[in-house]
Amino acid sequence: MAKAFTAGRRGITGYLEPAERDLLRKLFADIIVMLEPATPAHEDPLAALIGLDLDVSVPSDPALLRLLPNAVKDDADAALEFRQLTERSLRETKIGALRAASLGLESEKLVLDADAAKLWSMALNDVRLVLAERLEIRDEDDAERVHQVQDWGDADDVESYLSLVYNFVSWLQESLVQAMLAELNSGK
Amino acid sequence: MSVSTAPETDRDQSTQAFSAPDIPWDLIVWNDPVNLMSYVSYVFQSYFGYSEAKAAQLMLQVHTEGKSAVAHGSKEKMEAHAVAMHGFGLWATVEKGQRRG
Repeated sequence: MAKAFTAGRRGITGYLEPAERDLLRKLFADIIVMLEPATPAHEDPLAALIGLDLDVSVPSDPALLRLLPNAVKDDADAALEFRQLTERSLRETKIGALRAASLGLESEKLVLDADAAKLWSMALNDVRLVLAERLEIRDEDDAERVHQVQDWGDADDVESYLSLVYNFVSWLQESLVQAMLAELNSGK
Repeated sequence: MSVSTAPETDRDQSTQAFSAPDIPWDLIVWNDPVNLMSYVSYVFQSYFGYSEAKAAQLMLQVHTEGKSAVAHGSKEKMEAHAVAMHGFGLWATVEKGQRRG
């Protein structure tokens, strides 16, 4: 079993079983694929330079929309314009965090400094957002329904399997964030 | 052709209104059933530099009221904050604030 992350003198440390590392590696890789832009960077060098992406559109996959939400509510034009200016770099930020976390899985012991911990927490959060969308977690009652699935012996369909994975990643993220908050508030 | 002129000494004092601290744009963070309360507090503390108490108060407002205006300022600054929040996986929007100058 994985051990909860703890804050100590050498940073934040954690332990994951090989099977748990494999699972996380696959989840991170799946989301990297989701986030990789369908089209290459704009060919107009000036547009590419300022990160302007005129081919961008609101994602049709609700999970991807949750990762790349609209920044302006109730104004589709303004939201799209914002997306053209920012979405590509947001995708790159997220892919960067997922790659960093994935790379971190290769070392025997997980020892995270503040920056690495931040990237890990972002990556785990994106995994949870995507799983939550697949599990149709829309409100607190849905979250509670998923939370009730705790026994791996019950993993007999896709939904219960995804629920168990979601609960594992949630537990891991909670322990990591608690360690990060402990470091943040330790007066350093 | 530009003509060099003496510096304007009689500045219009009305420009002050534009740099007042309550420029009417807000960054709104929305509740969702996925993001952990601890994580939202961490983001508010580490990104905005808010105290533990202020971060907790804003986080609870998001949780109980469905949303909270967590930062105020220029449109450009709020847009940069929104992108940062999306990087963290929080859902944030930028809107013109209620307080009109």
